[in-house]
Amino acid sequence: MNRLLLLAFGAALGFGLAAAAQHFAYGAIGSSTGAQLNRFGLAFERVRDNYIDKQQDRTLVEGAIDGMLTDLDAHSSYFDPKTFEAMETKAAGAYGGVGLVITVIDGIAKVVQPIENTPASRAGVKKDDVLIAIDGTAMRGHALDDVSNRMRGTIGTQVTLSVQRGNAKPMDFKLTRQAIEVERLTYRREGDVGYVKVVAFSDRTDPDLRMAIAMLKKQIGPSLKGFVIDLRNNGGGVLQAAIDVSDDFLNAGEIVSVRGRNTGAVERYDAHYGDIANGKPVVLLVNGGTASASEIVAGALQDHRRVTVMGTLTFGKGSVQSIMPLDNGAGGALHMTTARYYAPSGRSIQVNGVVPDIVIAGGPGAPEYQREVELPHHLLAEGPPPKPLGRAIQPPPGKTYDDFQLAMALAFLHKTLALNDSPGHI
Amino acid sequence: MKKYAFVGAGAVAGFIAAVGILPAAHGANDMSAYRQLDLFSDAFERVRANYVRPVDDSELINAAIEGMVSNLDPHSSYMDAKQFADMQIQTKGEFGGVGIEVTMENGLVKIISPIDNTPGAKAGLKAGDYIAAINGGSVQGLNLNEAIDKMRGPAGSKITLTILRTGDKTAPKKPFDVTLVRAVVAVDEVRWHREGDVGYIRMPGFNENTASGLENAVRDLKKQIGPGIRGYVLDLRNNPGGLLDQAVQVSDDLLPSGEVVSTRGRHAEDTQRYDAHAGDITDGKPIVVLVNGGTASASEIVAGALQDHHRAIIMGMTSFGKGSVQTIIPLGEGGGALRLTTARYYTPSGHSIQAQGIIPNIAVASGSEDDIPKIARPSEADLPGHLAGDNAPRKPNPNPLRPPATAPKTGADGKPYDFQLITALGYLHGKVALNQPNQSAAAN
Repeated sequence: MNRLLLLAFGAALGFGLAAAAQHFAYGAIGSSTGAQLNRFGLAFERVRDNYIDKQQDRTLVEGAIDGMLTDLDAHSSYFDPKTFEAMETKAAGAYGGVGLVITVIDGIAKVVQPIENTPASRAGVKKDDVLIAIDGTAMRGHALDDVSNRMRGTIGTQVTLSVQRGNAKPMDFKLTRQAIEVERLTYRREGDVGYVKVVAFSDRTDPDLRMAIAMLKKQIGPSLKGFVIDLRNNGGGVLQAAIDVSDDFLNAGEIVSVRGRNTGAVERYDAHYGDIANGKPVVLLVNGGTASASEIVAGALQDHRRVTVMGTLTFGKGSVQSIMPLDNGAGGALHMTTARYYAPSGRSIQVNGVVPDIVIAGGPGAPEYQREVELPHHLLAEGPPPKPLGRAIQPPPGKTYDDFQLAMALAFLHKTLALNDSPGHI
Repeated sequence: MKKYAFVGAGAVAGFIAAVGILPAAHGANDMSAYRQLDLFSDAFERVRANYVRPVDDSELINAAIEGMVSNLDPHSSYMDAKQFADMQIQTKGEFGGVGIEVTMENGLVKIISPIDNTPGAKAGLKAGDYIAAINGGSVQGLNLNEAIDKMRGPAGSKITLTILRTGDKTAPKKPFDVTLVRAVVAVDEVRWHREGDVGYIRMPGFNENTASGLENAVRDLKKQIGPGIRGYVLDLRNNPGGLLDQAVQVSDDLLPSGEVVSTRGRHAEDTQRYDAHAGDITDGKPIVVLVNGGTASASEIVAGALQDHHRAIIMGMTSFGKGSVQTIIPLGEGGGALRLTTARYYTPSGHSIQAQGIIPNIAVASGSEDDIPKIARPSEADLPGHLAGDNAPRKPNPNPLRPPATAPKTGADGKPYDFQLITALGYLHGKVALNQPNQSAAAN
């Protein structure tokens, strides 16, 4: 019987990949793909026959796919059918969460902030709580994306978070998922400068940005000195939104190119004529929490010298993930790194991040960020090393600022801080 | 097919006698299994073809097996071929290395303590030192096991560690290199000494040398102390377990007859009983077994057996509560092995220790548990995904004996003050009664 199962497994693979059949159809020897699959089949059988409690075959396989994906890198993961279905209906607004901003440091998931008026904050989840398990699965060692994905799901469904607070016994929070508003961008006038904070890149970001710039132009009038676009702690989002936002400030030229494993498959995205800021100076504020889609924007606008990037070194995520349904979604979906992106000059942001033109310290109390380079199995950097990160401009002793980086950005636009005032500028 | 069983909560692993059980065929499920494997092979193919860079097939399969197994419970896992080979070496109780206990902190390897009489201790490595690099290669990005692998090697070979010492004013500010010659390091050796007329035996783990270590210890203590020997203290505190057969042998050494432990798997025919053979190497002298929250698995088998047979008084704090047995299932030549939870074990009275632990007859606090953050010492019941216990919970005594507020930090002999050991010795000298008013809940 065991034999039969193994053979059937080999045959199934052969069927799926007839073209390459010779590699594995009879490949029970050596390290061929078929032998490796047989090894999995053997492990699967041993577990289903010997584990202390009977397990669903499906549970075992989902655990295996999840293990295979999460081991690839910190951004790859598996969406089980339930999660995937919930994501599919995202457009219809049925996809929800519990309202926690989390971080993962040294393999431990921690609450950065419960979002006000969400299931998590109402239930009493607090800042600095350690998320030890979600629905009974231990979260130690899981990547940030994976932990976040597990909290999301169909609105109205429940998720149980096991939380450790200080030294107390772990406690369980049973939360009902609800729609969580992705925070929309905000803008305000800072004297004669327009300030726009973009917290994430979604389908609404580009229209919202155009609206914000138009409103600021109207409010400030002809004395408008320029704009500050704040991308600090913006962890990214939809690629297309990053492209559209970059395009808003560029008249022509490449924005980003995306390259998969096969050198032939390169997608290029170019800018169209038109600059919503009419060529006025723009400062982009970035920090270690600026990642992914945000880094595409920063990389593109920096390479075209359209903006001055100020702040601290960005996160360094230069990879693109794709979602691939299995068995038309009935088998869930792979969420997998399939490509790297490159800024217009051809540089990769992976690991290197975007080095600010003017390095400005976050000031006292600024959080430390875990960066891509610290993630297990991260993709290696490519190309020449980036420009070295210069010494940061620090707040002068004895002076306190609400937001030192913003203050420096405004000073730059008022020309009271020159580019070569920066000790970090080379 | 070969199967090896072991019980261990920590890094200690092992195997016992081969038991030839072939998995039963479950024909009715084969269609389901087939469909699931098909789904897996589809996922595998997609990753092979589309992941941003080519990945080794065997790496993908290793990760898949690990994902499948580690999802089951906190003690099931997969060992690749190398880890499997290491495990076999480790259960022999010795390996080529530098002789330091380490943990991971802030991406660096931190020394918990150098083991006495090893290259690490002789070279002056200290508890709290950080290892920043091994043979010039940074430890950043390595996990703990990878770092340990790099430090192991054949006895006689050289290794250079780059050490970062903090918190010591006289320490160099910059990292410095220490070159060591690896030696055979014995781990978890049984140690013993006399405490007046009492024999004290410390058992830090259960490897292939543990039962013979106990036998040596008892023989030597009898010789040292002579016929006036009053009894023994068997210290199982922070003993995470190890080989099942060694736990059975240790219990057997101290029990004249009766069941030591039984293990029950998924199928009724998997039930196994282990019985004691005639003879008690301590000639029936009183025994106190010291336990705490770090006493797990094989240690709990010993404590449970001796407690149920009223052969020993268990003293200290409630033990960890790992009542499951893992079997090592090799996956063929070079295929690594599964470490799979296949059975629960039961003490002679039929109790499962799972998620419950051994409740001491006399609860005695060390006075230091409270100083350690809870997160650093979870019990089985705290582990996410743990197997549920299958008997009604018993309540530990909420009011253990505690060290007096005036207790010194170190005893007269310069060693750390050990209230639990002092209480154990007091008990053997008749100064601590079992039926103290606040202890009634603990006695059974």
